[in-house]
Amino acid sequence: MAQRRVIATIREEGDVVNVRRIITVGAITALSAGILTGCSNSSQGGSNADANSFEFWSFTGIGQGEQVEAYTAENPDITIDLTEVGQSGETAQALTTALAGGQVPDLVLIQGDELPRFVANPGNFHDLREFGADEIADDYLDWVIEQPTAEGGEIIGIPTDVGGMAMAYRTDLFEAAGFPTDRDEVSALWPTWDDFIATAEKYTAATGEPFMDNASTTVFYQAVNQVSEKYYDNDTRELNFDTNPQVKEAFELGIEAATSGTTARTPIFTEAWTAGLQNGAFAVTSAPSWMLGSIESNAPDTAGLWDIATVPVGAGNWGGSFLAIPAGADNPEAAWEYIKATQSPESQLGHFLESGSLPTTPEVYDDPELLGTTDPFFSDAPIGSIYTESLLGVDPFYIGPDSGVIGAELQAAIDNVDYADGDPAAAWDAAVTNVGNAIGG
Amino acid sequence: MTTTVSPPRVPSDPAVRKTQRPKKAVGIRYGLMERLAPYGYVAPFFALFLVFGLFPLLFTFVVALFDWNPVGSQTFIGLDNFTRLFDDPRFWNAAGNTLSIWLISTIPQLFIALLLAHLLNHARLKWANFFRMSMLLPYITSVAATTIVFAQIFDRDYGLLNHLLELLGADRFDFRNSVLGSHVLIATMVVWRWFGYTTLLYLASLQAIPRDVYEAAAVDGASGWKQFVHITIPSLRPVIIFTIVTSTIGGLQIFTEPLLLSPQGQFSCGAVRQCQTLTLFLYEQGFGQFAFGYGSAVGVVLFGMIVVIALINFLLSTRIKGAQ
Repeated sequence: MAQRRVIATIREEGDVVNVRRIITVGAITALSAGILTGCSNSSQGGSNADANSFEFWSFTGIGQGEQVEAYTAENPDITIDLTEVGQSGETAQALTTALAGGQVPDLVLIQGDELPRFVANPGNFHDLREFGADEIADDYLDWVIEQPTAEGGEIIGIPTDVGGMAMAYRTDLFEAAGFPTDRDEVSALWPTWDDFIATAEKYTAATGEPFMDNASTTVFYQAVNQVSEKYYDNDTRELNFDTNPQVKEAFELGIEAATSGTTARTPIFTEAWTAGLQNGAFAVTSAPSWMLGSIESNAPDTAGLWDIATVPVGAGNWGGSFLAIPAGADNPEAAWEYIKATQSPESQLGHFLESGSLPTTPEVYDDPELLGTTDPFFSDAPIGSIYTESLLGVDPFYIGPDSGVIGAELQAAIDNVDYADGDPAAAWDAAVTNVGNAIGG
Repeated sequence: MTTTVSPPRVPSDPAVRKTQRPKKAVGIRYGLMERLAPYGYVAPFFALFLVFGLFPLLFTFVVALFDWNPVGSQTFIGLDNFTRLFDDPRFWNAAGNTLSIWLISTIPQLFIALLLAHLLNHARLKWANFFRMSMLLPYITSVAATTIVFAQIFDRDYGLLNHLLELLGADRFDFRNSVLGSHVLIATMVVWRWFGYTTLLYLASLQAIPRDVYEAAAVDGASGWKQFVHITIPSLRPVIIFTIVTSTIGGLQIFTEPLLLSPQGQFSCGAVRQCQTLTLFLYEQGFGQFAFGYGSAVGVVLFGMIVVIALINFLLSTRIKGAQ
């Protein structure tokens, strides 16, 4: 009843109140409409049409900020709107959403694992040959520049850095176990992966402690990147991971390591792993060049206790990133100028000397400054020569859109044996089945 | 405005009624605007709901019928995503994990909440408000922070819990790499986050029970336990069913905890997907693999499950009302 009374009263008040109400209702409707149109306006205003400025999406922890600063210092009329979106995976997610929605940056950094998906649909990006990328393509390692090259020959990205491969080891723990500590002697302990696992068993037998952090990254992931053909046939580009003996061999090495009782059963980048780096829960971890920074920042107190040896078999690469220009970029020319200036052999050398990011341009690999570069945290290991040597013997193999998923499933099968005592005999079949489910085969 | 104080009653004298008729006519004319006004007030919500709620929901149903690559081609494939989904052991694994985590989290949570509500409702409890408010602290703590803390407590090598186990002479237990262990770990976080909220819901309806019912029972010699079983639980039945339904819907959507327990860059929550929930599986397909069509199919199935549960809720609550 009370409500009805009030309504009756308002009715009696007549025009003034009702006009006010109409205004209020109108204002609310207009406001909500404004919010909606406001949203669409701001998303349209995201990119800048000014010829001297462009938008650049990178990921965190790769030091693009310094390069951008250096570039704008030399080219004061250029404005670069750099956004560090997140980790490399998150950046690829954001790029995917942007490509689907049509609002793209002018320049984007794509991590190697994410790249094949984008290369499979090259129409989303500028074919950099239109700016002359084919003229500078020879500057880069052949197997690296092949990764951003689509089936039709379009080059959608320019490599900024690669990983290389090596093993980081604790000299103090090696010494305590009665092992050699000199990096050449240590490298000589494991010319093959079988030797590496045998060394691990010897270490664990001598000390009772785990030798390596885990089997799937330190053994399998590195071994499987030393093949001449990985998960796809290089010529037909058809999946052949389940019949390729090289993949099976790397997998078996992973299983052998996982069942050897020499792993600390700690996945990289977990808290247990960083704790293990600090307290010596394992003596060896995989060390692609970009990993050195993680080891140093996670275990600063172990300075001087680490050294770097070569990876078994020698050559191999793990990681790397590429700069690409989306097809919908407002200012692709400015973005290309940036790529050309910052990714030339001299610039990549300069970036390596400053930040340790490994160049993709082999002509600088015999530069005396590069060869003379050492890392004090890792007992003054000559990182320049160790890593560039690991890059020169790499065989080019085709990396397809499902390579990432296949690698993850194979690693998970090894992890299951390593961490959760899964049945090693069933691991390969389980992995093949899981890959089948994952790629919808 | 003075007329608002005492609105005129409808006069019983027909003569007076007659004189008021013209005003009534005016009332109808302006009544249209007044009837529209409430819609204007709720319009902002519904406009936003339409754009950010309803449209994506319906669009999910459309995308689920496609092989939808956000940066490539979109091919209509009918119900293929669903046939693949029902054949996919990863889907059934995720559904089983979700059910298991829901069971391990909901049942203890409701019992703990019931007990705590009963204690907090005690007439002689001092600082009752302090205890009642502190119940909500886990609820307002960020899920990410909770997950990190609990993951450390349950850690195999450096965890507090395993340290205690070792002190007691037991073996270390690897929670994250075992199926049941990882479910217990996630369920613990869910219980921790929600028990306070549920407790307060129970407490609110407990306080609606008249004190004299308890007093009468006490006079009749009913013990505390008998009072709890025969008075408290029956009076709480509607809110208990409500919390079961909301925790079921919440349980179907457990996401952050298993995501943060996954290895970096992955969404599997472990080597054999031992704690991957349905929503995390959806996310893995949609935003890990960018299989938008397949991910949407998972979303549609999840939507169906939630609708069924909501229907059960509706039937149960109407039955309770009918019984009363």
